[in-house]
Amino acid sequence: MEDINVSKELKNDKSLFFNALKKGNLITKLSFIIMGLGCILRGQIVKGLIFLALQVSFIVYILNSGWYYLSNLPTLGKEVQRQVWNEELQIYEYKPGDNSMLILLFGVVTIFAIGAIILMYVKSVKESYNCELIRKAGNRPPTFKDDVKNLFDKNFHKTLLTLPAIGIILTVIMPLIFMILMAFTNFDKTHQPPGKLFTWVGFENFKNLFFSNSKMSGTFVKILIWTFVWAVFATFSNYLLGMILALLINKKGIKFKGFWRTIFVLTIAVPQFVTLLLMSRMFQDVGPINILLQKLGLTSQAIKFITDGTNAKIFVIIVNMWVGIPYTMLITSGILMNIPEDLYESAKIDGAGPVTAFMKITLPYMLFVTTPYLITQFVGNINNFNVIYLLTGGGPNSLNYFQAGETDLLVTWLYKLTVNEQNYSLASTIAIIIFVISATLSLIAYNRSASVQKEDTFQ
Amino acid sequence: MLKNSKKAMALLLTAAMSTTLLAGCGNKKDDNAKSDNKGGSKKVSLKVWGAQDDQALLKEMVESFKEAHKDKEYDISFGVVSEADAKGKVLEDPAAAADVFAFSNDQIWDLYNAGALYEITRNKDQIISANSEGSIEAATIDGKLYAYPMTADNGYFLYYDKSVVSDEDAKTLDGILAAANKANKKVFMDVSNGWYIASFFLGAGCTLSIKDGKQVCDFNNEKGLKAAEAIKAFTADKAFMTGDANEVLPGGIGDTIAAGVCGTWVADAIKEKLGDNFGAAKLPTFTCGGEQVQMGSFAGYKLVGVKAQTKNPVEAMELAEWLTNEQNQLLRFQKRAMGPSNVKVAESAEVKANLPLAALAEQSKFATSQKDVLNSYWTPAEAFGTAMEAKDYSKSLQEQLDEMVAQIQQ
Amino acid sequence: MIDKNKSNKNIKTGYGMRTKIANAIIYVILTVLALIWIFPLVWLILQSFRAEKGAYTTYILPKNYTFNNYIKLFTETDLFNYPRWFMNTLVVAIFTCILSTLMILGTSYTFSRLRFKSRKPMMNVALILGMFPGFMSMTAVYHILKSLQLDQSLIALVIVYSGGSALGFMISKGFFDTIPKALDEAATIDGATKSQIFWKITLPLSKPIITYTVLTSFLAPWVDFIFVSVIMKDNYQNYTIALGLYQMLTRENVNAYFTQFCAGAVLVAIPITILFIYMQKYYVEGITGGSVKG
Repeated sequence: MEDINVSKELKNDKSLFFNALKKGNLITKLSFIIMGLGCILRGQIVKGLIFLALQVSFIVYILNSGWYYLSNLPTLGKEVQRQVWNEELQIYEYKPGDNSMLILLFGVVTIFAIGAIILMYVKSVKESYNCELIRKAGNRPPTFKDDVKNLFDKNFHKTLLTLPAIGIILTVIMPLIFMILMAFTNFDKTHQPPGKLFTWVGFENFKNLFFSNSKMSGTFVKILIWTFVWAVFATFSNYLLGMILALLINKKGIKFKGFWRTIFVLTIAVPQFVTLLLMSRMFQDVGPINILLQKLGLTSQAIKFITDGTNAKIFVIIVNMWVGIPYTMLITSGILMNIPEDLYESAKIDGAGPVTAFMKITLPYMLFVTTPYLITQFVGNINNFNVIYLLTGGGPNSLNYFQAGETDLLVTWLYKLTVNEQNYSLASTIAIIIFVISATLSLIAYNRSASVQKEDTFQ
Repeated sequence: MLKNSKKAMALLLTAAMSTTLLAGCGNKKDDNAKSDNKGGSKKVSLKVWGAQDDQALLKEMVESFKEAHKDKEYDISFGVVSEADAKGKVLEDPAAAADVFAFSNDQIWDLYNAGALYEITRNKDQIISANSEGSIEAATIDGKLYAYPMTADNGYFLYYDKSVVSDEDAKTLDGILAAANKANKKVFMDVSNGWYIASFFLGAGCTLSIKDGKQVCDFNNEKGLKAAEAIKAFTADKAFMTGDANEVLPGGIGDTIAAGVCGTWVADAIKEKLGDNFGAAKLPTFTCGGEQVQMGSFAGYKLVGVKAQTKNPVEAMELAEWLTNEQNQLLRFQKRAMGPSNVKVAESAEVKANLPLAALAEQSKFATSQKDVLNSYWTPAEAFGTAMEAKDYSKSLQEQLDEMVAQIQQ
Repeated sequence: MIDKNKSNKNIKTGYGMRTKIANAIIYVILTVLALIWIFPLVWLILQSFRAEKGAYTTYILPKNYTFNNYIKLFTETDLFNYPRWFMNTLVVAIFTCILSTLMILGTSYTFSRLRFKSRKPMMNVALILGMFPGFMSMTAVYHILKSLQLDQSLIALVIVYSGGSALGFMISKGFFDTIPKALDEAATIDGATKSQIFWKITLPLSKPIITYTVLTSFLAPWVDFIFVSVIMKDNYQNYTIALGLYQMLTRENVNAYFTQFCAGAVLVAIPITILFIYMQKYYVEGITGGSVKG
């Protein structure tokens, strides 16, 4: 129904904003000052009012607190907590100072708010100009009702993504930026708010990390290798064995499928930290398993499951299998059920045995669906703090490592080195390095995988 | 067309605006309020943090505090934060922290560095003279007092089964080992734990100190080497047993364990198991370079601090002082068997009659303050202990000690 | 048609014996595995019925059995308010489950089916967002929630648990990718909006993956004790079960409360197991098989 000329101009989104500046009439130009004005006066009242409300609340926020955080961001606070002697009461009175951490955090929040308002601003101007153009062409601009209807069809992706996007920005992205920025400060034990301030130090933390401590680098390499080995074993053992288990249960002719699945799911029903703590107790040198083995006469001395370095490494991988296979079994079960039966039937008619069917039908199908999952699992295992920390605490501690033990991953080592010392800036620095490595590897693997390349053509 | 949707939208807008306004207001720098302590403020609200098991006792003490200070109206609320978690919780969000909180003394440096502790200046001399020297030292930094001592029982000593180990045997480590071996039982000590293993080194005369913010450790000198030899001999003995002291010792004593080292928190469990055979004494002496040397230990205290950002400093200090005064330390001992730091209470007959506390008091004569131990000490010490427990002699003792000290002093 | 039946019959009798043996072997394997998996849980249950106190025992089977540990959980609530924590966690879990599932499925459907400009970049970003090992993010989230006046509340927990859940869309997206596009196209021709396709066609076909998503989102609040510790701080009454149970393991408490801890852990497993049993029926096979032809 739209005029073709108008739609051409509307589609050219980027220039829309500047055209509004150049060619728009008075009302549109006023929309640069009062957001949404054009919309209100031209029939898109609701949309316009929303823009206006956003503008007002933003201004209120800046006046209230945003300005304080923003202005202090470059220095992260100037006033230190001071004390003044009060003779009458015989005490020191403390005058609160600036809190560097809160300034950093809410400075980031304010910057996000500014970013958001700029987006809204540009959009509001575009919309105002839009209305003007549509009016010029003699049509009525889409009403609120039309917009809402679109949200459920053409723009459905916007509807579905709104709530998740808000959630992610609030709980993931803003804290993430906050932590990344922290690596460029000197937030450590001697610079703790509220008593002390911390400030920007640029790349000094990175420099220190690489050049000051030679003892650390040897340990870093050893731990890096183990982290990688662990991630590979943990991820693939869980995946393959889980899939095989799912296949076993799923097979035609096996009864009580629900029963078998429930038994394995029981193990994830009990909180992980309980089962992990239990495991670490059960396999102690003086724990029940060893007592049982000795009573049964199978061994004369206690088997050092946890206190021996190599044993401990095998131990954590096996226990991790115990913890993780029920999950992978569930996932693969669900996907297996989705594989069309006819594929298998035609394979059987062609004379394929079960193994061939597995390799040529099941495996490729599963890999297609779950490659992104595998990648996330792999990286997740690189950062798998819980399992290692609760099972062995990263131990057994050894003097061959710098402040670390033989089952320590990079993250648990990071935790011991820095969070116990409250050296948050160093923690963030190391975390960034880990992150860069993981992210690069994942992006490469993900984008080259079949999942992405054959996304639309799988069937 | 527009009328109904207009109304609905107006409501939505108001809601949207108010939420953003709330967020805006909440962000406001709210710790700018001046502390209103010109004395005579009508209602004083304070928050107190204590461990969960302490809550009932705290409530009782607060009631008596209100009784004794009828001139002001108090609104005192409670929160559950154990002493071990106090530092973490305070520093996470000082604004939300309690005005008065209990913490373990090894957290005092971090709290002080973060400017979270109020310097104690009222009745300072009284407090110093009323409490034991060790506890005051633990609460003092740079000559200034930053907390009120509450308990003095965060140390360790020897528990033993009298039916296996006689009082005479319990005086020396060799005696204990001999008695245990005769009865085919074990002697328990968590050597792969920096807290316990220090007893050998400290006893032998080694020291831990802080210089320029870094840890200085001399565990690898001659004395340290002799102590290490003793540790090696101990862990190599047939009767040696290790594990988690809080669980394995009370679980196995009377059964497979004849004696072990731990603190007061397992006293009840052990008493239940051993009954009349319950024995507690200071740590024994051990053979160090051929001589008998008394084992040392770490001394720990629980302190009560006042938050530096509190809005009612005077009242908070009064409350903190009240919670740790002589009368209440006695009450704490009676109700929860916690060892007092108050000198008079500690000298009382009741406290002296409590076996574990008496043993601890005996041992504290040989104890070192944990204040000068930095975080870098624990892992390497544990690693050394682990190697000893695993009987890993691939490197010489001196080498291992040097390695340990190098890592500690980083 | 008749030919196929005949050849099927032949194949069946030929394979009959082999299948029976194969199945028998599989049953044995499954039984062995099930025993291995159950063993720690059996240990846990045994401990929860143990009458003797203490965390460490020199023997395997309890000497005396008792229900006391369970009873005490509900009667001695001044120290550990188990019933209240249980309800807290249940409420948080239900809301988190609903919210998370909607968000995850919505996100994965969007990335799988809908095409828009920033789709690929967004997927890449989402992939790597979860890779930053973050300890301080909890403090940041706490302060952000505090500025919205939500700190120390159960609502805060729901937000924390479901906020970033959409990042876990990988599996569901992979699943949606395998649903034939022909279905969507047929529906669009019939005049359905994208929204209707999502609710009425795609979701009913995705029951297994919905089950998985529901189960894991429901599970999260029961097992987390790190986030809740940061959010709740000293608000003891609002603790969730994981944090509450964890308190039983401090050195002062462990000897007296270990068996109760085990009992508490066993009770936690019950709602989750019930949920799973209920959702079992959605693990039905081969649904997509006939729907395209129909």
